[in-house]
Amino acid sequence: MRKIAILSIFTTSLIVAGGYKIPEQSLNSMALSGAYVAHTMDADSAYFNPANMVFLDSNRDMMEAGLTIVHLKENRFRGRQALSPTNIYDANGTSEVENKTIPYFHYISNPIGNLRWGMSLTVPAGLKKRWLVHPDRYTINTNEFENAYQELFAKEFSLKVTEFNPVISYKISDKFAIGGGIRVVYSEGEVYNDGNYVGVPIRREMQGNTIEYGYNLATTYRPLPDVNLAMTYRSNVNLNEKADSGDANLYIGNLGRQYSANVKIPLPASLNLAISKTWLDRFTLEFDYERTYWSKYKSLDFNYGSKIPSSLVEAFDNPKPKNWKDTDTFRLGATLKMENITYMLAYAKDETPVPKEYINYELPDSDANIYSVGVRIDISDTLSWGVAYLYDDKDSTTLKAGENRNGIIGKFSKGGAELFTTSLSYKF
Amino acid sequence: MKKAIVSILLSTNIIFIIGCGDIGKPADTKVKGGEIVVNFSSKMMKDSLLQKGLIDKNQVVFGYKAYKIPYTTTDEHGDKVEVSGLFVIPTEVPTEISTLGFSMVSDDHGTIFANSDAPSVIASNSGTPDGASIILTSLGGFATLQPDYIGFGDSYKKHYHPFILKNSSASTTIDFIKAVKNFAYNNNILLNNQLFLTGYSEGGYVSMATLQKIEEEGELSVDMAIPMAGPYDVNLTAFGVLSSPTLSVPSFMANFAYAYAKAYDREVSTVLNEPYASKLPTLIDGSKRRELIDPELSYDTTGATGLFNPTFVNNFFQYSNFWFREAVVENSVSDWSPNTPVRLLHCQGDDVIPYAISQITEAKMQGMGAKDVKLIPVEKELRLDHNVTHGECGEYAYKLAIRIFSKIREEKFGY
Repeated sequence: MRKIAILSIFTTSLIVAGGYKIPEQSLNSMALSGAYVAHTMDADSAYFNPANMVFLDSNRDMMEAGLTIVHLKENRFRGRQALSPTNIYDANGTSEVENKTIPYFHYISNPIGNLRWGMSLTVPAGLKKRWLVHPDRYTINTNEFENAYQELFAKEFSLKVTEFNPVISYKISDKFAIGGGIRVVYSEGEVYNDGNYVGVPIRREMQGNTIEYGYNLATTYRPLPDVNLAMTYRSNVNLNEKADSGDANLYIGNLGRQYSANVKIPLPASLNLAISKTWLDRFTLEFDYERTYWSKYKSLDFNYGSKIPSSLVEAFDNPKPKNWKDTDTFRLGATLKMENITYMLAYAKDETPVPKEYINYELPDSDANIYSVGVRIDISDTLSWGVAYLYDDKDSTTLKAGENRNGIIGKFSKGGAELFTTSLSYKF
Repeated sequence: MKKAIVSILLSTNIIFIIGCGDIGKPADTKVKGGEIVVNFSSKMMKDSLLQKGLIDKNQVVFGYKAYKIPYTTTDEHGDKVEVSGLFVIPTEVPTEISTLGFSMVSDDHGTIFANSDAPSVIASNSGTPDGASIILTSLGGFATLQPDYIGFGDSYKKHYHPFILKNSSASTTIDFIKAVKNFAYNNNILLNNQLFLTGYSEGGYVSMATLQKIEEEGELSVDMAIPMAGPYDVNLTAFGVLSSPTLSVPSFMANFAYAYAKAYDREVSTVLNEPYASKLPTLIDGSKRRELIDPELSYDTTGATGLFNPTFVNNFFQYSNFWFREAVVENSVSDWSPNTPVRLLHCQGDDVIPYAISQITEAKMQGMGAKDVKLIPVEKELRLDHNVTHGECGEYAYKLAIRIFSKIREEKFGY
């Protein structure tokens, strides 16, 4: 694992959208809750709709660099955990609050005839959920530690993804352009499980990483000068996280052994259909529909390079069914462009891909309402900066007895996230 | 390509330290002359035993550390065989116990057919404590020695299992005791000189054979042997089985016949009828459990459709110098006079090895001058209100054996 540590300075892990995808990768997209596909305005077009690159006003090179600070709220679980139909235990838990910083970078070249190229370095997906036992959170009456059962299933579950995405676009006519690129995705996965606090002396530590490839396509049609119709597609990328021997350790009791291992997690394909309308060159409304093909995620199946002890097979080797479903997300964003300042406001309705039947502590996801606001200030013709804020409000999820295949009975509440982005854009 | 991506990423000059930690490296399981295969702390053992309702919360429970130890022994022909066994020690013991060293209990396991049921194989495959060694080590504080036997563990599929054959059964256990002493010395595990022998069913027979050989050789000394429910009088057992029209567990007798044919260089087909004689080598090669073997065999003792060849059965009853008659006498471990204290534990409700076998063994040994051999009926000693079968008796018998061993250890060492 040490050999790839240098790469991890660019990766981060979190979850803000449904599943573990993070659509918002720039100031504008954050301020518009991702309703930013048809009417893209800056260097971030390279990522959100490369076809639009050839329609940008500027004939200069463009770049945007920014930082997003992510505050992931705690998930709270109040309920019970069934390890078998007759063994049901109190299993209250509270996940850790996570604060992360995500960098991003976008670049678009000056036009070369009808061509323009660009690139983006982003964090398109991520997941981090930690349920840690704190020795001071102990209930004497029930002889239980908070988070004890959660530690068995997901002491830590994280996925860190960084994407390098070179793109190119071509203007076929003043009304129609196409674009596309290659997705080079580097990711790291970490999994920790620990059953010691519930009298199940088993433990897993695993760190894996991989580089995988995909593609993205885009097209924009402008039937009228102030109307954009756009369609973008990002392909599925299977993240086959590979851990060398020494990076996957399994323990029974105090005895640990090193294994090589791998686990495959999809970074799902997504299709965006968007329309925008601009009035008086100042006010733009954009509506975006996104279909994310999460149904690719059928199961979580760890494979080990050699046979693991039989007493660990059920917990750590047998495939865990996920059977996620494809999701629909609807986004509506408004942009008001004044002389030197641009205001943005948006709302999105995000659907969770995780069926109640298969929900687990590693990702107690639920439907969400997303609200965002942002502002961009032009300092000069070439330089601008801005800030954006996004609030991700997750619904609660209640699981009745027998409803969940992982034996979870109770209510997940809280969760959600707050994101703050600041960026600097430069044309040269 | 990976290098190219690294350089592209670095060229962006965006440096935000997020990073990831390195995971710990498990301690090396290799030790001098063996391998650690199980390691549970006392807390883990206690939590686990409490959860299963096997102990009360005031019970003292020690940690459990098990080693797989390879060693060399000899078979019935005197040829060397590479075998293995499981050595279990208690951990987190009080200083007064660890400074005195652990008393050893050599525990010979009962009849198994599948290699996956051998002590070191179970421990290696599952990584968890199993069976009698939990009682002996984690509750009793003894070092437990469990040879896999020839045909299992490291000798799986390399040698047939010498089932109820005295010399190799004894050698397998004695050589393991010696191997463990050597292993403990090399790995700074302090053992005292107290040695107990026990075993259940086949293990009862093996422990008695071991005691006899130890006394003949005079190299080791045993504080007490508690063989449990073993077929000590093989001659009597053979007569009983071959004179019955049906077999309750044909795999036992098939295994017995096969081992004797191999050890005495006889064709298996002269002992067993076809197709059983031809099927046996693959049926009992250690890859199958008994439940899969019995249906492949005949439950009739002999005759055209029976398990045993009728000529073989006739010769057994007709000729006192028939090789099998001589073999079963030679391999009986009931006809001698032990100097070591022996307690024969047996359940009166035993439906596989009759209680009478132990009664006869006690009588024969006492008749031959043994001063300290005593049969203890398990149900009576534990004041059970019902008789217990062979399958159920093991747990009770081990609890009783550990009580007796603990008392003797306390007399000698004070704990």
